[in-house]
Amino acid sequence: MATEIASAPPDQAAAHQVHPHQRERLALSYVVLIITTIFLLLPIVWLVLASFKSDVELSAFPIKVLPEVWRVQNYIDAVTMIDFPRYAGNSVVLATTNASLTVITSALVGFAFARIEAPGRGRLFGLVVALLMVPAVVYVIPQYVVFARIGLVRTWWPWVLWGISASPFHIFLFRQFFSAFPKELEDAAEVDGCSLFRIWWQIFLPNAKPAMAVSFILAFVWVWGDWFSPLLYLTDANTTLAVKLANAYVDPFGNPLITVTLAASILYALPLIVMFFIGQRYILEGVVTTGLKG
Amino acid sequence: MAAEAPSPAAARVVVTERRYLSRQTRRTIAFYTFIAPWLAGFLLLGLGPMLIGFLASLTNYNGVNLDTLQFVGLRNYERIFTADRDLGLAVSRTILWTMLNVPIWLVASFILALILDQAVRARGFFRTVFYLPSILPIVAIVWAWRVMLGQNNGLLNGILSITRGAPVAEIWLGGNNAIYSLTVISVWAGLGSGMIIFLAGLQGIPESLKEAARIDGAGAWRVIRHVTMPLMTPVIFFQLILSIIGSLQQFTIPMILAGGQLGSRPPDSTYLYMIHVNLQTFASQRFGYGMALIWVMFVVIILLTVIVFWTARYWVYYEADIK
Repeated sequence: MATEIASAPPDQAAAHQVHPHQRERLALSYVVLIITTIFLLLPIVWLVLASFKSDVELSAFPIKVLPEVWRVQNYIDAVTMIDFPRYAGNSVVLATTNASLTVITSALVGFAFARIEAPGRGRLFGLVVALLMVPAVVYVIPQYVVFARIGLVRTWWPWVLWGISASPFHIFLFRQFFSAFPKELEDAAEVDGCSLFRIWWQIFLPNAKPAMAVSFILAFVWVWGDWFSPLLYLTDANTTLAVKLANAYVDPFGNPLITVTLAASILYALPLIVMFFIGQRYILEGVVTTGLKG
Repeated sequence: MAAEAPSPAAARVVVTERRYLSRQTRRTIAFYTFIAPWLAGFLLLGLGPMLIGFLASLTNYNGVNLDTLQFVGLRNYERIFTADRDLGLAVSRTILWTMLNVPIWLVASFILALILDQAVRARGFFRTVFYLPSILPIVAIVWAWRVMLGQNNGLLNGILSITRGAPVAEIWLGGNNAIYSLTVISVWAGLGSGMIIFLAGLQGIPESLKEAARIDGAGAWRVIRHVTMPLMTPVIFFQLILSIIGSLQQFTIPMILAGGQLGSRPPDSTYLYMIHVNLQTFASQRFGYGMALIWVMFVVIILLTVIVFWTARYWVYYEADIK
């Protein structure tokens, strides 16, 4: 094909004509990319700047971009005005527990769907895929009533049970990941009399670190950010940062302390941002594999 | 199995039997053992509550007392269509919100993916920046947008004040504007994940197909229109369905904006269906009625999904041998 073009001058001329168009298109692309970047970053940058201002400064007219004095006090207030360490601790324990359990059980279930042929497997996997699309509204509230009836509200047990029962999203992720493993990997082990559980534990899991990282981070991010479940289930003593952040920072008259809350929001979001930058490559791949938002 | 065996002899029988189980039987047992945690969870935490919810929708259950529980037949469903004053509002706002959010998000993230699929510089940088908002927790997102769109302390009003030379105190997060602000916040938070999925789809399209079209004289636009778009329709289709389902269930952003409590009522402009459900269920303690509302929503979502699936044959392009 290349030689054909090279030997035909008119085609070459045409190729040269395309060039300015292409340059124009690229220029337009950069304009869109830069505008989008501003749109996406501006609220974050503004949040950071505002978190160092006083409430009066925040509503100043005309607006001030930079704080007059950088009020680190907002961050100190954020940590001391409410029992921040306790709620942060609650968030950490809940998110870590749920994410660890989710990773382990989803990896086991995903392994079964990927590597063990059994009657009914196709249909059950169809069910997993269908569950990805079932609207959560239909079970979230009745599930709460079931948990209330068996006395598990106001405790962290629901997060443990949600973790143990795996999740269609994570099962799908592991199933896709394990499907790509070569057949010889388990054949040799099986001939040696290795049980399927040991094949999973000693051969597949150690080779699934990227998938486990994505699964863990996405589950962690979900629990950490989830605002409705802790609001519904937990009490003031064992709830998470997400719930407290929505309305806990107020002055003695009940008026919201905005800039202190902003500082707390940043402290609250920071662990996720750090996780994102560390596991970025894996996370983006994971999102792509399943075609779903975390 | 061995633990339940009454005598060593019986245990020996079990062991010998096990040795003679075929490979397939052993694998089947292993398969069902491995998926048991998920299957049990699905039955006990998914399907079970779902059916209990449906049964509750046929009662006057208030979420607390079982002694006053009465079977009321379809009266809750009757009430939805005849006697619920707020329902019309909730339905119309939910339709408007979905019609704003889904197309804007879909088109914007698709265009971004098309742009990033070209040979642009710093692609990794843009990809990271675009995805960043998707990782942020929703409560932090709401606070960030409160100081962007706030009436007296928002950046937007601040900028407008400068350009107009006089203080501007437009209420962006309340009144009629609330639904547009909700759309902006939601698109802002979801743009990155949509873009990533579309970008992956675009990169899966064989370069040879686009090249062939170019050699036939097709310009950039026609390559997109006649090669890229048809091959992307399965991805677009999947994202369309998920985003419709997600939008119809939205309630967190308006609820946090309204005060972040179970009884918080947002402005009428963002009085979405699921907010109505939460207020009825928790604030008014009409659990049975709330469940009826949820089942109506569930049926509507299933119907919509079926309709979208049915339209797929007219616009979604499946050709196995191209991949």
